[in-house]
Amino acid sequence: MRKLIGGAIAAAVVFCAAQAQAATIKVGVIGPFSGPFAHYGKLYKDSVEAYLASQGGKFGGHEVQVLYRDNGGPNPSGTRALAQELIVKDKVDYLGGFVFTPNAMAVAPLITQSKTPTVIFNAATSDITEKSPYFIRTSYTLWQVTVPAARWAHKQGKRKMVTAVTDYAPGVDAETAFKTEFAKLGGTVVESIRMPISTTDFAPFVQRIKASGAEGVYVFLPGGPPNLGFVKAYNENGLRAAGIDFLGSAETDEFDLQKFGDAALGLTTAFHYSAAHESEANRKFVEALRGQSKDAVANYASVGAWDGMAVIQKMVEATGGKRDGAAAIEAARKLSWESPRGPVSIDPATRHVTQNVYLRKVERSGGQLINKEVENFGPQPDFGLRK
Amino acid sequence: MNRAVTERAMAPSSPLRHCVVIAGVGLCGLLLPDQWPLLARIAVMALFVLSLDLVVGIAGLATLGHVAFFGMGAYAAGIVALRWTADPLLGLAAGAAAGAATAAVSGLLVLRYQGFTFLMLTVAVAQILHSLANKLRGWTGGDDGLSGFAIDPVLGIAPFDLEGRVAYLYALAVLVGSYYVVRHIVDSPFGLSVRGIHQCRPRMPALGTPVGLQLWKIYVVAGLFAGMAGAVSAQISGIVGLDSFGFSLSAEALVMLILGGAGRLYGALIGAAIFMVLHHTASSINPYHWLFVIGGLLMVIVLVPRESLASWLRAVPRPWANGARASKREVA
Amino acid sequence: MQILANILIDGISYGMVLFIISVGLSITLGLMRFINLAHGAFAMTGGYLAAWLVRTQSWGYAAGVAAAVLLTAALGALLEAVVLRRLYRRSELDQVLFTIGLAFVFVAATNLAFGPQVQLIPLPPWLAGSVDLGMRTLPMQRMLVIAMGAAVALLCGLVVARSRFGVWLRAAVDNKDAAAALGINIRLVSGLTFAAGCGLAALGGVLGAELMPLEPYYALKYLVLVLVVVAVGGMGSIAGTLAAALLLGVIETASKYLASEYGSLFFFVAMILVLSARPQGLLRRAA
Repeated sequence: MRKLIGGAIAAAVVFCAAQAQAATIKVGVIGPFSGPFAHYGKLYKDSVEAYLASQGGKFGGHEVQVLYRDNGGPNPSGTRALAQELIVKDKVDYLGGFVFTPNAMAVAPLITQSKTPTVIFNAATSDITEKSPYFIRTSYTLWQVTVPAARWAHKQGKRKMVTAVTDYAPGVDAETAFKTEFAKLGGTVVESIRMPISTTDFAPFVQRIKASGAEGVYVFLPGGPPNLGFVKAYNENGLRAAGIDFLGSAETDEFDLQKFGDAALGLTTAFHYSAAHESEANRKFVEALRGQSKDAVANYASVGAWDGMAVIQKMVEATGGKRDGAAAIEAARKLSWESPRGPVSIDPATRHVTQNVYLRKVERSGGQLINKEVENFGPQPDFGLRK
Repeated sequence: MNRAVTERAMAPSSPLRHCVVIAGVGLCGLLLPDQWPLLARIAVMALFVLSLDLVVGIAGLATLGHVAFFGMGAYAAGIVALRWTADPLLGLAAGAAAGAATAAVSGLLVLRYQGFTFLMLTVAVAQILHSLANKLRGWTGGDDGLSGFAIDPVLGIAPFDLEGRVAYLYALAVLVGSYYVVRHIVDSPFGLSVRGIHQCRPRMPALGTPVGLQLWKIYVVAGLFAGMAGAVSAQISGIVGLDSFGFSLSAEALVMLILGGAGRLYGALIGAAIFMVLHHTASSINPYHWLFVIGGLLMVIVLVPRESLASWLRAVPRPWANGARASKREVA
Repeated sequence: MQILANILIDGISYGMVLFIISVGLSITLGLMRFINLAHGAFAMTGGYLAAWLVRTQSWGYAAGVAAAVLLTAALGALLEAVVLRRLYRRSELDQVLFTIGLAFVFVAATNLAFGPQVQLIPLPPWLAGSVDLGMRTLPMQRMLVIAMGAAVALLCGLVVARSRFGVWLRAAVDNKDAAAALGINIRLVSGLTFAAGCGLAALGGVLGAELMPLEPYYALKYLVLVLVVVAVGGMGSIAGTLAAALLLGVIETASKYLASEYGSLFFFVAMILVLSARPQGLLRRAA
């Protein structure tokens, strides 16, 4: 009898030791999986699962377990509660996700206190990474993509532009970035139009743009129905014919791009990722996504999640799978790699990704609408934090 | 204390007894450290729904704009913490004052009307405050939310910890204290006159009751406690978002109140607990299908006659509520 | 001057969409005193059906829209006969809660069936262009909306004022018991009116899909707008709903043109002003 107990204890000890050696890495992903922004959640999940599959489900020899939590949209207090649960109860090693700025801001004190490296897959306001030294961002910021756009507009000979942005933090960032840069180069922004976030009828704003007498309009809208509505209004009210060129960023997002139809042809945007980017890394990414789920879309959100997981992998490898937030962040600061979007590196000062920004025009290729990259502005840092 | 006073204090429907029960149940929550954040949120919502019960259950005014007071309280507490003092109790007082003031001013307008018109006006007030909060970005942070404020330790001795224990105990304490006060108000002659207005408004002026004034006063009291709920919410989460003025919060609070039963005060707490736990569980299983659950639940609750549901509940043995059952028969 | 013209044109088309969606709710509220917060869900259903028929089943636009309207009306009639009828005698709060629960179920079911993305209704070529009015272009779709709105208002007005059914309807609204005593089949009138209201909501959902995108939360998102229009216009009054919808549509559009940072503030301030002056709405039928 004693031998049996002794054997059982020995087996248990060996079992525990074996578990401890290849400790599972837990990653918490917080995003909207229900409600009007549920498509972001699905994009994140598809991308994360695809990345894990491409790495054989392990980072640096450690099993990876991803816990998804739904915050329903912009919901700072709910997000904070979810993050608290993930950190305290589920004891996650890393956090990821975050579509909206207020949600990311809400978890800043938590991740600082618990030293949890947190990778932002989307939220694009510049000063988020300042709120905690444990934030890393793999998406973009408005300053980063807007400054090159302003420079390009000026190079094209435009001297009078109008900005039309959705009235919330990233939109205001975009407006400020464009105005500052354009003015620096000697142009003027004749009118800055702010559209309420709940707008569905863009005709009034488009009429104001027409009446402003500008040579072009710089636009920023959040993904989804506002994009469609605005582009429709732009076309239906004859802005192109009136000589007011369209310059945007994420409006021709691949997620809804096909819905625009021919109305979208020729639209110009300055952005950091196009699914039509020609590179081996991108081909692999798109293939992996398609393999994961038939209706997965390669766009800025899914590439943000893909690269976010890549950063987490590098952090796991650097810390040998142990939970050491400070060391992980230190390692992350020095990263540079080939992402599906092009060559990227993490800026050690801002912990935000430095990446190429491209000028794209919408074209039809193989029956599908794509964002064709026509110019590469080269690597751009986050100008918002360099003020 | 002599025997009579003690007996009265521990009588079935006495505020003290209810508070002891609530505190007891709440303190059991300390045994579940994983759930402290959720329990704290339940306590906050319970307080908010309690304040709603004052307007809907006691005074009989169906409102969908109660979130206006919650939001004002939340932003007041946040702004005070950011710009003036980080003491939680002062922030709480600021939140209560903001909620009460908003109710006082808006009540002057909306309480003149009844029924559908009143309902729509309350919605309008809440939406206007929402728009203003978005516009006055300098004060409220707009869409980013108001953040960057830390809260000092409660009474100087209990700092807000990562696990959420202090936050939970703080929210629970505010809830229990508020329940005590609200119970006293409702059981007082003032509360009885408001109930009278609910039951038969035309009769009350004949009794000499200033109907408008009484309704205004209960509206202000409700606003005060809703503001406190908002303040606690802001303090324990460290951030105030525009969703503090969101229409869905008003609607959800109404649903919670009905789940637990309107007019009995403790029904608000029960309803809030049931709803939040259901939501938390269902959301982690599948977020969208949560709407099926809550929609179906609402329809069932309305269709199944209240009497058969109540008698089913009463059949569940509850040893501590022998006296409470008698009091329920009187009040309900 | 240009801006004024723009505000009027865009405001009127927005207002017409609001009118078409809201008129059914106003009549139902006025006739049956039944608060139906699932009304937005019917508008959404109509839009989704039309999108599905036209886009995936390749029906023609007119046929698809007509079918969507009729199907939604039938669905409304079915729900009314089977379930909603039991709620007529219940309190306001019970009606609010039940119909909100119903709306939740609609939202979840729509998401289950179609997913969370926005549904587009492809326009036929004759609707997809724009008309040049000299000072500005107006999309054909907007013109259709304005024309349909006027047609609906006219049709409803004629039915109510001139037809036998209209007589029954007005009698039932004024005094249900007396009307029943005179032999008017109240059940039939209620059922048909409810169905018509749902059908009109569906029409509004289809026509307004450009301005109010079809996604599962549609049923709840625009509920407040519809309720405001009904409250301001006065329950049971078609002319009142039209006036309120146009007024509010123009105010909302004006604020977008002139002071967009304030969001919907002026919309709700206008609502408060009107309701304070006339709590029963602009043109409530004397009940």
